[in-house]
Amino acid sequence: MTTAVEKVNRRDAKLALAHLFVAFTALALGGFAGLLQTLVRSGKFELPAGISYYTILTTHGVLLGLVLTTFFIIGFQFAAVSRTTGTLSDGSRRTGWVGFWLMTIGTAMSAFFILTGKASVLYTFYAPLQAHAGFYIGLALVVVGSWVSGFAMFTHYARWRKAHRGQVSPLLAFMSVTNMVLWLVCTLGVAATVVFQLIPWSLGLTDRVNVLLSRTLFWYFGHPLVYFWLLPAYMVWYAVIPKVIGGKMFSDSLARLAFILFLLFSIPVGFHHQLLEPGISPFWKYVQVVLTFMVIIPSLMTAFAMFATFESYGRSQGATGLFGWLRKLPWSDARFFAPFVGMLFFIPAGTGGIINASHQLNQVVHNTIWVTGHFHLTVATTVVLTFFGASYWLIPHLTGRVMTKAMNRLAIIQTIVWAVGMTFMSGSMHFAGLLGAPRRSAFSTYGNSPQALEWIPYQIAQAVGGTILFIGIILILVIVINLAFFAPKGETEFPIAEAAAPYERAALALENWKLWIGLVVALILIAYTVPIIDIIQNAPPGSKGYKLW
Amino acid sequence: MAKPTTAVRQTKKDEEPALKGTLASVFLLGFFIIFAWVSVYFLFLHRL
Ligand code: HEM
Ligand SMILES: [Cu+2]
Repeated sequence: MTTAVEKVNRRDAKLALAHLFVAFTALALGGFAGLLQTLVRSGKFELPAGISYYTILTTHGVLLGLVLTTFFIIGFQFAAVSRTTGTLSDGSRRTGWVGFWLMTIGTAMSAFFILTGKASVLYTFYAPLQAHAGFYIGLALVVVGSWVSGFAMFTHYARWRKAHRGQVSPLLAFMSVTNMVLWLVCTLGVAATVVFQLIPWSLGLTDRVNVLLSRTLFWYFGHPLVYFWLLPAYMVWYAVIPKVIGGKMFSDSLARLAFILFLLFSIPVGFHHQLLEPGISPFWKYVQVVLTFMVIIPSLMTAFAMFATFESYGRSQGATGLFGWLRKLPWSDARFFAPFVGMLFFIPAGTGGIINASHQLNQVVHNTIWVTGHFHLTVATTVVLTFFGASYWLIPHLTGRVMTKAMNRLAIIQTIVWAVGMTFMSGSMHFAGLLGAPRRSAFSTYGNSPQALEWIPYQIAQAVGGTILFIGIILILVIVINLAFFAPKGETEFPIAEAAAPYERAALALENWKLWIGLVVALILIAYTVPIIDIIQNAPPGSKGYKLW
Repeated sequence: MAKPTTAVRQTKKDEEPALKGTLASVFLLGFFIIFAWVSVYFLFLHRL
């Protein structure tokens, strides 16, 4: 790892920054939509000028779930790859820019149709709800753009490997490539439904659509999507945080093995989102739930590795007692504090996931606001707080600035505000969901039904939480704008940890891509071939499109 | 022959970090998962 350049090349930095800029713009707009949703759902506020709740909710889901995440991740990974395997070649960088513009044009196009009310189909765009074709075409461009950027990363990595035969690749590069392989394999499904089903159907070229097939292809993509969000956060946890606290990575090989297990087990599991779907046989749901539970293994490996990293560091600083090491951690450093709070929130978040994926328990929570509470812990807290924590060094590193003490303090406050707001919002979503409150619906008392009246206090608590969270959004935007344009000039480190033990031979074996990709394909074929044939052969007549807004 | 092996094992053992807190933490984590899961499971049974 002596060959790695310490600093991301300036031209690569520009490419990464362009991605972060779009990501934080999406956060600003999407966060405002989120605030409006909580206010509407409290029953005390109505959207002006006849704006539909679903227009706002589609804006929120697409901008935050799809745009913020994808742009941040690709920008972060370009920076990580450039930092660890050297400056991108001119060709790779140009390819990266082509990917960026395809994604940006696609986003603008989809956003146009959402905001003009022609695509209020939510970020999952389930048929038979039918949006304007431009919405689907814009999304297809986003996906194609992300593929182009993925190829830029792959070629760069392949070039490094050629020049360093027999060497283990740097951890962050290995992880970025794993995440892009995951993304490439899973987006094939969503691309298939968008290009072959939804675009022709919305253009009127075909009259009817196989609803179950399109939903199945969506969830073939939708679950790995959440791992595509999560793995970059894990990159920060495994490879960066140990350095930030002044310690060492617990084990390099464990980190790599966890990533390979995520790659294997996060794709053939989409049916756990379709447990109540009548057209899929219980046997195949069972198979995919078993595969889903395999993901618990690398998740608990990660939890163990984090605890071990923190404890080893604390003990090296003289900590005693069972939990004395906690006191040695750098609590006043926002680069540590924000991701750490993200980790803490992953405990209830992951637990909720196990509940969702258990067939019987899924019947308790399916389509209730519990689910919304769940993923505001996973993606909107764990992942997002880790991304914020990474931004505190990544943005100044890329812009040649340093974070001031005042901004660091503001970042600590931002983290606390986010944690408090989310505890209110997500907590009350979980409880209201257990009482049966539906997700994806504006305020209603359902004809003063006693059950619906029970939800109202929780909905007010959600609005309180949403308002606090919106303050959190303003704070993070202040910090990010400061780091990008106003912070004092200087050098900021891109922290990368060393492993406690020297590289083990196992790490080399984990780079056997032919083997892993072969296994990924095999697992997907096992889990999906028979049910998909069934879905196509025994399909009811397709549905025509509906525009219900 | 036997002597160096034990010596190696000895030093290796000394280098193993003490991770009692980690053990306790993962147990607490496991108990939390089980507790939450069982709670919702009882809610499911209750509503059957
Ligand atoms: C100010 C902060 C936020 C607030 C107040 C907020 C609020 C909400 C509310 C109330 C809903 C559900 C509404 C319903 O089902 O009727 C929702 C849905 C959603 N939120 Fe957020 N949220 C915030 C931040 C985020 C972030 C940071 C992300 C992602 C990184 C995110 C991703 C989503 C997604 C994907 C949905 C689902 C949309 C759908 O069901 O179609 N949210 N949000
Ligand atoms: Cu899932």
